[in-house]
Amino acid sequence: MIQTLLLTALVIFSILAVLLRDLLKAAISLAIASIFLAIIFFRMNATYAGVFEISVVAGLITVLFVSTIALTKSDGDVRESKVVSILFPIFFVLFIIIDIFVMKTLLNRLMVVRYPAPTGNFGQVLWGQRTLDLVGQIGVIFAGVFAVIALFRKRDKKDE
Amino acid sequence: MGFVAALIFIGIYCLLTMRNLIKLFIGVEVIAKGVSLALIASGFERNNIYIAQSLTITFIVVEVSVVATALAIIINIYRHTKSLDIRKLTRLKG
Repeated sequence: MIQTLLLTALVIFSILAVLLRDLLKAAISLAIASIFLAIIFFRMNATYAGVFEISVVAGLITVLFVSTIALTKSDGDVRESKVVSILFPIFFVLFIIIDIFVMKTLLNRLMVVRYPAPTGNFGQVLWGQRTLDLVGQIGVIFAGVFAVIALFRKRDKKDE
Repeated sequence: MGFVAALIFIGIYCLLTMRNLIKLFIGVEVIAKGVSLALIASGFERNNIYIAQSLTITFIVVEVSVVATALAIIINIYRHTKSLDIRKLTRLKG
């Protein structure tokens, strides 16, 4: 019951993040949705993923969004069509009806790959079995850092 | 899984209908939330939560890197066009 309420709150705040016209309010709604997602993770015994969700997604990504909104300051410039907000409930209800009828039969048809349950604690699984993932993460972080440096590089006078 | 599908639907609706670049990226973030929920929920169902957690953490790291790069690109686009309207990007030359 509580899980369903949390999932509903997550969906509602995600809808608000998409439909709210004020970009700052939309970013804050997204952060609140992340907090609900983190609580769901905690309730599913995924504590480390929950901590990452709160600190990185609800914290860092919201800060990045708010700084971008502050740096651009032109939310009044882009006018979203009012039809988008009006049509959303109709499409959403249609989708939920299709979802309820189709998803159960679809999920039963999916092939499930049996994977042995890991032994030990989370640290042993992360550092022992998923070591290559960590190497990939380091690579992705460096790629992101170099991409941001390249995008904010000052122009030389020769280029102008 | 119904909630995962709903989140992905909300994100795709945003991507298809919105014009503001930041709003479009909020849509991408909503889809990312759906994907991380799917990873953890499947791990919880199959009693394999450790692997699901490590995959989710990897996904979050990739997400942060993508967000940082995309927002930097959005700021550069704003400096270039003085607008966040995606339709103005069709006027770019070269």
